Amino acid sequence: MSKTVHVLRHELVTTLSRRSFLLVSFGIPLAAVLIFAVISILRSDTSSSVDVSMSMEESTELEVEGYVDQAGLIDIIPEQIPSDYLLPYSNEEQAQKALEAGEIGAYYIIPEDYIEEGEFIYIHPTYSPTSSDGQEWMMRRTLLVNLLDGDAKLADKVWNPMDLKVTNLAPKPQYDRYAEEDCSTPGPACESSTLVQYIPFIMAILFYIFITMGSSLLIRNVSGEKENMVMEILMQSIHPRQLLTGKLIGLGIASLLPTIAWLGASYAILRLGGGVLNLPAELTIPPSLLVWGIVFFILGYAVYASLMAGAGALLPNMKEISQATWVVMMPLMAGYIVALMASGEAPHAALPIALSLFPLTAPIVMIMRLTIGGVPLWQPFLAAGLMALTAVLIVRSVANMFRAQTLLSGQPFSARRFYRALLGRV
Amino acid sequence: MNPIEVSHVAKSFATTQAVADVSFEVHRGEIFGLLGPNGAGKTTTIRLILDIFKPEKGTVSILDGPMTEAKKDRIGYMPEDRGLYQDIALDRCLIYLGTLKGLSKIEVLNRLEEYLERFDLADHRKKKVEELSKGMQQKAQIINTVLHHPELIIIDEPFTALDPINTQLVKDLMQELRNQGTTIIMSTHQMHQVEELCDRIVLIDEGRDVLYGNLEAIRRQYSGNAVLVRAAGELPSIAGTEIVRQHNGTFKLKLAEGTSPQEVLSGLIAQEVLLEKFEIAIPSVSEIFIRVVEEGDK
Repeated sequence: MSKTVHVLRHELVTTLSRRSFLLVSFGIPLAAVLIFAVISILRSDTSSSVDVSMSMEESTELEVEGYVDQAGLIDIIPEQIPSDYLLPYSNEEQAQKALEAGEIGAYYIIPEDYIEEGEFIYIHPTYSPTSSDGQEWMMRRTLLVNLLDGDAKLADKVWNPMDLKVTNLAPKPQYDRYAEEDCSTPGPACESSTLVQYIPFIMAILFYIFITMGSSLLIRNVSGEKENMVMEILMQSIHPRQLLTGKLIGLGIASLLPTIAWLGASYAILRLGGGVLNLPAELTIPPSLLVWGIVFFILGYAVYASLMAGAGALLPNMKEISQATWVVMMPLMAGYIVALMASGEAPHAALPIALSLFPLTAPIVMIMRLTIGGVPLWQPFLAAGLMALTAVLIVRSVANMFRAQTLLSGQPFSARRFYRALLGRV
Repeated sequence: MNPIEVSHVAKSFATTQAVADVSFEVHRGEIFGLLGPNGAGKTTTIRLILDIFKPEKGTVSILDGPMTEAKKDRIGYMPEDRGLYQDIALDRCLIYLGTLKGLSKIEVLNRLEEYLERFDLADHRKKKVEELSKGMQQKAQIINTVLHHPELIIIDEPFTALDPINTQLVKDLMQELRNQGTTIIMSTHQMHQVEELCDRIVLIDEGRDVLYGNLEAIRRQYSGNAVLVRAAGELPSIAGTEIVRQHNGTFKLKLAEGTSPQEVLSGLIAQEVLLEKFEIAIPSVSEIFIRVVEEGDK
């Protein structure tokens, strides 16, 4: 077995056997999935306790609700509302009893002065910051139809006066699909949580964390070996390039596993917990995004972990890790900030496009744009190609820094010395 | 060709001249002492030999030529400071480092078993290295240095943190390896260990070799300025001498410059002193060390 493989295996096994690593990498996402699964099951049980004949999909999305019509407005229940899903009660006391008995999930009170004041009361037993305002669209629609004397067509026009159709030549952005949804036919998707709009930003954060965590393993590993003098032993056992290669791949695999775990957990949470977060049922992470995610993680890791290994090679001790990390990770942070600003406003403007192609910011900004959708296919391919080229150049440059003379020199770390070393001038 | 030939090497760091001019050869199958005061340039010399640093001047030949990757597996090196992973189990650490020296895992396991037993570490193999005492860590480092049966061993301060029993254990191992033909370079400040173990030495001071050669020859070279005398009666005063020490009736007489041991003996006989013992005092390595370094300072 080659010495590179020995290093790879050692780094992988050592990293994966650390409890703290296992907890953060697999424990937390697993716990999150379990929590959402349990909540999802509990919600499903609550819905099924209501005696209604509906499809499973509908029953998990709608609850039976009641209303007390003190204004005497409601004669017709619109056809969009399934039968027996909006039950009348003659007074608030009865409605409250039904709520307490679990027969209904919530109830509305339409006050006598509703026509004058335009207000009605919605009694809901729970409050969730991530949920929308429940399913009050049912009452909104009911009132609209009844105020228009049962004219359903007119009600449709009032509900959605402008039936806007947008034709986008690029692939359809994911969350835009919900923004542009035909809400003339009301339903849960129209009322979905604004959390959907934060998903690209969340993906950018996750990738920033993944790449930073993976790269940090390298700098800590190299500077730790320097500090405890193992490096001097290693230099007498293995070629520095073999050592760097083994570490890069070993710790890369160790970093990829939690990345997959977290992405998998995100996927599972969207599937299991969509209802909990009030996400549209159709919202999923497309397989292409998962593939691109892995590609950009690997390339981003190769670039930043090599840079971190190079910084580790120059560090005289572990005390200066934070300074070196700051120097190396600055471009990624810049990408993160741009992703933060652009995710909601202009994800496909010139600056985000440029930064999504620039190899040092691409792993964050491109992932953010890909999550939003609407990115022409040539762009991720170009970004990946440029990143691969950059990774090769950086790995070669850092391999030259991985010499015994540099590793054991003991000189203080500085940004200038780091960049000079990258250019082969140290 | 000798396993190590160092010829007029020099190395500086920024404004510090760590090694100015050092030359020596190490013969096959000997224990060679690399001596010198703190900061003399011993560690830098070792790193020049191992190709960790490139010399600015001079040449180094190790195992018949320049250092190569293949030669690394034939060399065992133990730096003075820690050189083990602190946060993993002892056996895992030694297995990994052993495989990096070209051994298969099976070979490492077989040899490791033997050494762990010999050094009384078998019961501690599953402990993290950081949980071991300093002495245990030192023994573990020695095991790591010899596990792959290298033909050349470079070992910096092998007796640090060891009690007398373990010191003897390490000395026995070193002598055993020398008898098997292994070449050993030992850097240490423990001069009595040098006296006991080393065949030849080089003394480095301020980056230069100031003393080099066969240990016994060097000691003889530095003898002659003192004699050991034991007499049946009282020892009279002898011109050109000064008593520096008395131990169990034996006097050590330091000779003034220009006074020879023969003149002292003649003087004693002339005074009809009944001599029980008269011998030329051979200086200890420690004395030679101090004398040479002090002379260098002057």
